[in-house]
Amino acid sequence: MDEQLHKLINSIFVDHQENCIDCETCCQQLSCLADMVTSGVEVEQLLPAVEDHLRCCADCREEYQALLCIMRADLNGQLSKLD
Amino acid sequence: MTTDRTNEQWLADLRGDGEAQERALLDLKDRLQRGIFYYLSRERSDLTYLSQRELTQMAEDLAQDSVLRVMDNLDSFRGDSLFTTWATRIAVRVAISDLRRARYKDFSLDSLTANGDLLPATSNPVSGTPPTGPERSAEQAEVLAKIQAALDNALTERQLRALIAVAIHGVPLDVVAEQMDTNRNALYKLIHDARRKLRAYLESQGLSLEYMMNLFQG
Repeated sequence: MDEQLHKLINSIFVDHQENCIDCETCCQQLSCLADMVTSGVEVEQLLPAVEDHLRCCADCREEYQALLCIMRADLNGQLSKLD
Repeated sequence: MTTDRTNEQWLADLRGDGEAQERALLDLKDRLQRGIFYYLSRERSDLTYLSQRELTQMAEDLAQDSVLRVMDNLDSFRGDSLFTTWATRIAVRVAISDLRRARYKDFSLDSLTANGDLLPATSNPVSGTPPTGPERSAEQAEVLAKIQAALDNALTERQLRALIAVAIHGVPLDVVAEQMDTNRNALYKLIHDARRKLRAYLESQGLSLEYMMNLFQG
């Protein structure tokens, strides 16, 4: 299938979630979510609205993954070794 | 790097004055800088061309900007996470937004959406598969015309431009928002509404996801 057509159809039918929260609402909950996830809880069990937003918003997803990566490095003591 | 202050202590020190505030600002910058440096040096394959020294400088600049942003937003900290997680989240936004702006510094939304050729021009939009029969080709052409009609009739020009840039070409929201004189959240809502309208339009024409996927994937 033509790539652009495929992306368009996916964007309309797969990425789009009715009643999905916006970036601002998602962002407000990200730090709370990251704390819980780094304590070992699965993200799907926590805040489904945030999970839905992260699935359909590449920008928020990228930032959330970066946040988790830094927090996990901190927990593993990797940030203090950067001197 | 350790959690050496409680949330309350961070807030009190950062809102205070004199030596305590100065020390807290330095500690915060150090913490954010380490996190940003780690992210830039370990997770960003697009930055491997930079030397360690350049990455260190970049992390320092971004950490400085992040501390200013944290201080500007201190009153919005709700206390439902660790203060340091909240501050790191702000630093991540500062760093990634900066990287996106740099990556798309020559990007022009006008150029991207100028030709309007979003859908395949031919009646055979199925690439990598054998030619389809005349009946199937006609059916595909009919559906493509309906999708084009949906784009033309259901969306405003602004929605169409935003959808093409973000959903089709993967341009970050921050970058498109800047060129459309709006903010990221408003742009997200604009695209969300566009998707909803397109979905409603296409479904009213009897076009479902499964039907279209089967039709175009042969």
